[in-house]
Amino acid sequence: MDISSFYGFFGIQYTNIYVQIIIMLIKIVIVFAAGMLHVAYSTWFERKIIGHMQVRLGPMRTGYHGLLQPIADGVKLFFKEDIIPSSGDKVVFQLAPMISIFATISALAVIPFYEGFVIANINVGLLYLFAMSSLGAYGIIMSGWSSNSKYAFLGGLRSAAQVVSYEIALALSLVGVMMLSGTLNLVQIVEAQQKLWYGMYIIPQCFAYIIFMICAFAETNRTPFDLPEAESELVAGYFVEYSGMRFALFFLGEYTAMIVMSCLAVTCFWGGWTLPPAIMTAFPFLAFVPGVVWFLLKVYCHLFLYYWVRATVPRFRYDHLMSLGWKVLIPLSLANIVITAIVKYIS
Amino acid sequence: MTVTAKDIVRRALFIDTIKGMTLTLKMMFSKPVTIQYPEQKRKIYPGFRGKHAFVRNVTTGKEKCIMCMKCSNICPSQCIYIKKGRDANNKPFLEQYDIEALRCIYCGYCVEVCPVCALVLTEEFGYVSTSKDDIYFTKERMLKNWDEFVAKLDADEYWNKFWRPEGVDTSKMPKAKREQAPVPLRTMPARPEEKKQQDNEPAEQKPEDKTAGRTQSKETA
Repeated sequence: MDISSFYGFFGIQYTNIYVQIIIMLIKIVIVFAAGMLHVAYSTWFERKIIGHMQVRLGPMRTGYHGLLQPIADGVKLFFKEDIIPSSGDKVVFQLAPMISIFATISALAVIPFYEGFVIANINVGLLYLFAMSSLGAYGIIMSGWSSNSKYAFLGGLRSAAQVVSYEIALALSLVGVMMLSGTLNLVQIVEAQQKLWYGMYIIPQCFAYIIFMICAFAETNRTPFDLPEAESELVAGYFVEYSGMRFALFFLGEYTAMIVMSCLAVTCFWGGWTLPPAIMTAFPFLAFVPGVVWFLLKVYCHLFLYYWVRATVPRFRYDHLMSLGWKVLIPLSLANIVITAIVKYIS
Repeated sequence: MTVTAKDIVRRALFIDTIKGMTLTLKMMFSKPVTIQYPEQKRKIYPGFRGKHAFVRNVTTGKEKCIMCMKCSNICPSQCIYIKKGRDANNKPFLEQYDIEALRCIYCGYCVEVCPVCALVLTEEFGYVSTSKDDIYFTKERMLKNWDEFVAKLDADEYWNKFWRPEGVDTSKMPKAKREQAPVPLRTMPARPEEKKQQDNEPAEQKPEDKTAGRTQSKETA
């Protein structure tokens, strides 16, 4: 069994295979724990932000300013009864939330959090992220199908159509980044951005960034594109029949997907864990701040954007959603690729 | 639907979305309107209709009810039960006066219609209970409600705006209602003319001697 070549594929330089495995496991545990903590507190953050935007307070009772609310929610969901519809497809029903959470959490593996800290430094990182984010839709479609409920089914169908429409524009919007950096490796994309004095691809790729963010909203089923789980029409959409821990898995999956998309935006457009070289030369003391701080700050800003948009924008109508995806975003992202190619060829 | 160039520019630049998002951001930094209930309580304005109480006459120490049955008749949810009794001297007295507060809709008609201003909907609102009996107010309970309400009140006299409903011709009101002054709350009445009219006997229990509500209300008038 040639396990050494397998781990060599992930680009870690240790020769001893056991050290490799242990380091890998430690990294996985750290990322998983930190990721779950962020998911839990992003729900608190969301409720606080939306509460204050609606001139309310949000959670206030559980702990200081409701800080223990995510833990209370988690405990409650964990001990709730697990109901499986008698007329549903039991195997698929149980499989769906697992696929959903697996796809989103495994996407965290290729995200570089700061210099040298990435679980799997693979050369096809971006492609892997696309694959995983569209795999998450399988969980949604399967849950919609297996619940044997019309609301869940409609939610699943909408999600299928939405993912097909927006996955393309999402991938195409990042082609410009790939062309500028010349790689699919996320670490190398960040390093390529450091060669520019402004240190981020947001400036040459601002159209791509806007398209990417719109598609990321659609991909993670967030308002204004939350048609698969439209509360007001479909009760809860594809996970309407789920309860207890299985519901919590979908919930975790959705919030992890949001964090993954924010991480991707930060890595590809905002320079990842780095600050622009111009700022670093102007304020040299900033070099002492660990890179993960900048990375997390940028991710939090994106999460805030998610909540901000959710508090503001109403849901799209279904045909508007489709026409926006096919008639606007895909042509625009194609145009962005062409223009980027021409500019790169000239310069 | 025609799409003009202006519309396209508006959409492409997210003008409307940005306007909306500026508003929500502005709202985020405004002061929340939430009242954290048990710690903070909202200000109660005059005319609040809460827990039922009988006004306790400070001189007799009893309720002022004259058993006219008007409140029981007007009550839309019919939750007031009154029973008139006769004592040994064949004088009528209030044997039973019950308000089933769980059925009450707090319209305040009973307070408005009462000719002697005996009834009041106080500003108390926190009287939940796990037992229905606790929210079934008998005559004694109504007087107790009044005492509890008065104990919290920081004033010498009390006036309820429903005792003299606005827009009703005062000349058509019963005399007692027309001339009702704010009721004194402490044992020493603040108003000298009331003191003069009323008997100077202290508020001790002489139940059979005087059929409290009726006589008292006449004297007040």
